[in-house]
Amino acid sequence: MESALTLNHFLFVSGVLFAVGLAGVLIRRNLIVIFMCLELMLAAANLTLVAFSRFNVQDGEPGYDGQVLLFFIITVAAAEVAVGLAIIVALFRSRETTDVTKINSMKF
Amino acid sequence: MPVYFLEIIVVALGLLILMVDAFVKLEDKRTLAWVGMLGLVVVFALLFRVQWPESTEGAFWQFYSANDNLALFFKGIAILCTLGVMIMSYDFSGVVVDQTADPEPGAHPQAGLGEFFALPLFACAGLMWMASANNLVSIFVSLETVTICFYVMVAYLRRNVGSLEAGVKYLILGALSTGFLVYGFAWLYGVTGSMDLAEISAALAKPDVNQAAALFAFALILVALTFKVGGAPFHFWIPDVYQGAPTPITAFLSIGSKAAGFIVLLRLVSPFLASGELVGKVTLAIAIIAGLTLLIGNLSAIPQKNFKRLLAYSSISHAGFLLMALACTPRSSDASGALSKPVTVIAFYLGAYLLMTILAFLVMTVVRRKIADETFDAYTGLAKRAPFLSAAMLIAMASLAGIPLTVGFWGKLFVFKLAVEQQQWVLLAIGLIGAGAGFYYYLKIAASMYLGTPDPKKQVIDDTPIPIGNVARIAMILLMVGIIVAGVNPSLILGLLD
Repeated sequence: MESALTLNHFLFVSGVLFAVGLAGVLIRRNLIVIFMCLELMLAAANLTLVAFSRFNVQDGEPGYDGQVLLFFIITVAAAEVAVGLAIIVALFRSRETTDVTKINSMKF
Repeated sequence: MPVYFLEIIVVALGLLILMVDAFVKLEDKRTLAWVGMLGLVVVFALLFRVQWPESTEGAFWQFYSANDNLALFFKGIAILCTLGVMIMSYDFSGVVVDQTADPEPGAHPQAGLGEFFALPLFACAGLMWMASANNLVSIFVSLETVTICFYVMVAYLRRNVGSLEAGVKYLILGALSTGFLVYGFAWLYGVTGSMDLAEISAALAKPDVNQAAALFAFALILVALTFKVGGAPFHFWIPDVYQGAPTPITAFLSIGSKAAGFIVLLRLVSPFLASGELVGKVTLAIAIIAGLTLLIGNLSAIPQKNFKRLLAYSSISHAGFLLMALACTPRSSDASGALSKPVTVIAFYLGAYLLMTILAFLVMTVVRRKIADETFDAYTGLAKRAPFLSAAMLIAMASLAGIPLTVGFWGKLFVFKLAVEQQQWVLLAIGLIGAGAGFYYYLKIAASMYLGTPDPKKQVIDDTPIPIGNVARIAMILLMVGIIVAGVNPSLILGLLD
């Protein structure tokens, strides 16, 4: 018997992940937590890609294009974290806070 | 020479600057900017001598084959924009050194300046690659190359709280838009089963396509790219980031980032617009965003007092005009003439926007060296003190407002013509209101430069002339000539697009 898991199960989980990540970005105030939630959104996209790739069978093989994009996303996310944490640390040194509501020196 | 050598040369140039910075003892690190500028001039010259490969099918370069003049035109925009940024960075290097100074004894007095000249080159290579990308993977990778370079450049002044705050805001919102983009890509891949734009276009044109899922993918991608180009309602990061970033990088953001966003938008939206089932809804969504962007950008610009914030809102409003052109895509394919296609109009507009925005930022950078104030007060009565700079700013502002005989006039005219042809009357009305507001806030600055008298309460009265470097002066003269000549005869730019 084929596995009882269908494409919809994967899409549902990844949709929930994406929603949790987005809600975290919008609601949380700590920069580090916001950054973690952003990574969660990328993970949701990765899960969607793998699921579509696995269920998009052509000539008996899954479509590998989606899985290739996934590796690029992981790499780019790592680069983004490296740069992002450096910027957050530099900001923390000068402002001594990671609370986004206190980062408001520019107003017109 | 095969066309993909151009990007390789630009990346090699950036690496060369990094290596020289690390291993050669330079008295004055601004020499590195000269290396970058000369290299970019050479690459720009090579742009006219490239050949497209006969076929990239199955080749290593198959993801790089959107081989049209549009790609070359956007590569040209990327190179010229980076060249302008390098010229500004050369003038701006004093401020960079002040704000990144290393307190350690024995450090080079200009430590940290070398990377400031290398990063724009890496971003430029990403922009150029993006102009040719024809595959979701290559679009994503080139877009992120540019974006990550921008994160570093915006936050570059690490002793300056404004720059760091701008960097963090750009980082969070840029990463958020990346999240939307890849999730949209994943769904687009799920709907069409392909990463190749041509195959996606063919799959979307089939009648049995899952419309709901395709529209969901489109909505996610549209949200992400609206972030990137600065369209409403996702424009709120632009004023803060533009104000905080170093001035040359603000210029780079407002042109490079926008041009990149629009080429990706054009390439990604065209499969949806070619699909008979989806075109109505897609056009409506873009038209709503365009209208909102035009209103918010132009009306919020009116009360601004900081010059960089004004240019930020101006950049939002120009994004509105560009989106308006995109919303006026002809429904039938029989529309004849290059100017009936939004692609040509958008490319022309971006070319014009490049000339006038670089000029405005160049003047700002030179003035900023003498006057630390970035509000309009610094420009009151500037004409007596610096007639050349004021004339350059006057031309830039006139062109941004769209006064006849400048290139900005034709850009707006072509967009309005497109709206009339497609009978988008509501958008046309909003566009005209926006252009009217533009006349007010751009010409207000011009008037205060020429007619205003400095107020001793608001600024230090100083009549000494403002020194202009030779490179900056030559660049300003070339840009002014370009704006006027292309304003008299717009076919000069249109000829490049055929």
